[in-house]
Amino acid sequence: MSNKDKIKVLYIDDEQNNLVSFKASFRFDYNVFIANNTDEAVSILRQNPDISVILSDQKMPDKTGVEFFEEIRQEFPNPVRILITGYADIESVISAINRGHVFRYIKKPWSEEDIRSSIDQAHKFYITTALLAIKNDELQKAYNELDKFAYSATHDMRGPILSVLGIIDLSKNTEDVGEIKSMLDMMENAMMKLDNYIQNLHDYYSIRRGEVEIEDIHFPDLAKEVCDIYEVTSKMNNVRFTNTVTQTESFRSDDVSLKIILNNLLSNAFKYQQKGQDDRFVELTIEVLKGAAVITVKDNGIGIPENSINQIFNMFYRATNEEVGSGFGLYNVKDALGKLGGKIEVASKHGEGTTFTVTIPSK
Amino acid sequence: MSALLNFIVVDDSKLDCFIAEKIIKNTGRSESVNTFQQATDALVYIRTLPPTTIPTIVFVDIQMPVMNGFEFVEAFEALPENIRQGYSIYMLSSSINENDIAKVKGYQSVRQFLNKPLTNNAITVVLNQHS
Repeated sequence: MSNKDKIKVLYIDDEQNNLVSFKASFRFDYNVFIANNTDEAVSILRQNPDISVILSDQKMPDKTGVEFFEEIRQEFPNPVRILITGYADIESVISAINRGHVFRYIKKPWSEEDIRSSIDQAHKFYITTALLAIKNDELQKAYNELDKFAYSATHDMRGPILSVLGIIDLSKNTEDVGEIKSMLDMMENAMMKLDNYIQNLHDYYSIRRGEVEIEDIHFPDLAKEVCDIYEVTSKMNNVRFTNTVTQTESFRSDDVSLKIILNNLLSNAFKYQQKGQDDRFVELTIEVLKGAAVITVKDNGIGIPENSINQIFNMFYRATNEEVGSGFGLYNVKDALGKLGGKIEVASKHGEGTTFTVTIPSK
Repeated sequence: MSALLNFIVVDDSKLDCFIAEKIIKNTGRSESVNTFQQATDALVYIRTLPPTTIPTIVFVDIQMPVMNGFEFVEAFEALPENIRQGYSIYMLSSSINENDIAKVKGYQSVRQFLNKPLTNNAITVVLNQHS
C-alpha cells in the first residue's frame, strides 16, 4: 500500500518519546503525523485536510486533550477524535464523552492492538459520516431541483394549455373564417411548445436516471442522423449550414448523451439567429483527436448578453424571450457532459454570435 | 356608456398578448391597447408617455425571462409619483404556486391577482372596478 492510500492519523503528545514510539509502531499501517504541542497540531491539520483520525494525550502543559478537541471542533469538524489518558482520570473522560467530541478513549500505557482497532473503527466512522454528508448534499440538490421543477411545470405545461383555452373561448365569438384560421395556427404553435417542453423533460430524465451505455461511436453517422433534421430548418429559414466531421481513430462514448448534446446546441444555434440579417450561418465541426472529441457549434446569431453568460447552464434560466425556449436545453447539455466526463466552453458576443466548444474524452 | 380606458399588456407569450388584446377590444372600453413581450420595454413606454387623464389598466404576467412580473412591479413602484398615478396593475399568471399568489398581495400598486387565460368574465369584473 502506498503512503497516499493509507489512513491519515495525527497524534499529539508533549512527550517526545511517546511520539517517536507511536510513529515507529504504526508508520507501516498508517500515514502518521505527529505534533508535540497543539499549535503544531493545528498547522498540520490545516495542511492536511484529509486527516481522518486525531489521537491526543489528555495531560499536556498548555492545555488538556479535551480542551484541544473542543477548540478545533469548529474548524475541523470531520476528523474523528480519540483521547489517550495516562491516569485513571475518570472525570476528564466522562466530561470529554459527555461533551460529545470524543469517539473513544484509550488508557496509557496503550497496547498496539487497542490503538489499531480504535483507529480502524474511527476511520470507518469517518467514512460513513463523510458518505452521509455527500448523500445529504445530493438529496438536497435533488429536492431543490424538484421544487424548481414543480414550479416550472405549472408555468411551462399549464401555460400553453391555458393559452389554447383562451383562444378557444375567443374563437367561439368569431365569425370570420380567416381569423379562425389564424387562431388555429396559434393553437398549433402553443401545442408545439408544449410538446417541445415534454421532449426536453424526457431528455432530462434519460440523462438523470438512464445508465450510460458506452459503445463505439462513428461520428460521421451520428452527425448525419442529427444534421438531417437541421438541413430542413436550414433551407426553410435561409441559414447556411455546414458540418465537418473528422474521425480517424475509434471513439467510445454514450450515443444518447451525444445526441442530446448535439441536438440542443444545434437547435439553439438555429433558433437564436438575427432576424433580417443576410449571411446567416451555423457551423458544426467534430474532430476526434488523441482520445478526445472536440465538437464546435458556431453561429452568427443574437449572441448572449455578458451578464447572462454565467447563468445559461442553470435549470430554467432564460437569457432572452426572443424565441420560444424551455430553459432546459443547456442544462441538459451540461448534465449529459457530466456523465461523459466532458466540458463545455462558450464564447459569445451580444449581437454578433456564439461559439460553443465541447470536449469529451473517449471512455 | 362608461369612460374609456388605456390598456397595457405585458406577457412574454405572443399568444397570450393576442388573447388579452382581443378580449380587451371586445369590451368596447379601450381607448388604446399596447402589448409588450418584454417587461423592460413596457417600463420605458410608461416612463416616456406624456401625461393623460385617462386611467390605465396594466395586465402583467409573472413568469417572464429577463425581467419577471415582480421585478416589473418593483421597478414601477420606484417611478416618481406623478408618473405612477392613474395606473392600476393586475397580475396575471398560470401559476398555481401559493407563494406567488401570496407575494402579489405584498405589492401596494397591484390591485389583484388573476388566473390565466383572461376571459370575458374576468375582464368584466376588472372593468366594474373602473366604472
